Amino acid sequence: MKDEKDELLDEMFRKARFMKPDTGSVEEHFETRLLAVMEEKRNDQALWSAWSWRLVPWLAIFVVIVGIGSFTIDPVRSSDLFATFSSSDDDYQITNMLAGG
Amino acid sequence: MNFTENDLSDERIIEDVLAGKDGAFIQLVNRYRRKVFAMTARFARDKDDLDDICQDIFIKVYENLGKFRGDAPFEHWLSRIAIRTCYDALRKRRREKGHIPLDDIHYQIADESGEELLVAEEARSLLGKGLAELKPAERLVITLLELEEKPVREIAELTGWSEVNVKVRAFRARQKLKRILEKHHER
Repeated sequence: MKDEKDELLDEMFRKARFMKPDTGSVEEHFETRLLAVMEEKRNDQALWSAWSWRLVPWLAIFVVIVGIGSFTIDPVRSSDLFATFSSSDDDYQITNMLAGG
Repeated sequence: MNFTENDLSDERIIEDVLAGKDGAFIQLVNRYRRKVFAMTARFARDKDDLDDICQDIFIKVYENLGKFRGDAPFEHWLSRIAIRTCYDALRKRRREKGHIPLDDIHYQIADESGEELLVAEEARSLLGKGLAELKPAERLVITLLELEEKPVREIAELTGWSEVNVKVRAFRARQKLKRILEKHHER
């Protein structure tokens, strides 16, 4: 059930409905501004895309260097899977744990 | 028989836009610009904000036009994007506290008799202050329901919320507005 405040609010809404926003001045040259923003966005995307393609060779070189480095700097390789799991650090931790350290 | 730009259907213009014709998109913008501005003006805080939101809406339309399936009229699809963008703008504004709205959007009234205009302007201004204190979802619902006079079902379709949810939000918004206006009267 509507009370007095509801009726007051309804009356305010009714009055406010009469007021239609006049957007004429903002609408002027809207298409021009919109096209400019869209063009700017497209250029930004094109620039980013161009840069990302230019970075691809450098990234490939980096990956190759890291690959070569990992083989040359750390040449200790073992075909024994257990040996790869039990590194010297693990042995140290296990000894510590068993000794209550 | 020659077709003028106005005779072309929305679907035909959309096909042209998707084929890469920017001119066709401007036709679409010109066709719906007035409607989008009128709807958005209820949520914008000033002219710059209105311009920004409308640009956002049409950019989203342009970027998502390929997803428009055509099973509902283009106008409905556009309205949904417009409402979602307005809602996002309201939420963003709530996070940016301390902004003083300029309220420089002009309003027209059908019957411009001095007293009527003054009363309507006062009501709009007071309501604007009250609406600014509501949560974005509540403000969106109450504006569409009471100022745009849209039915609950349409609001549910536009927002993607259930009809019950819309009614609950509208009820809460009314209760809050009553309290805010009451406080304002007490001052």
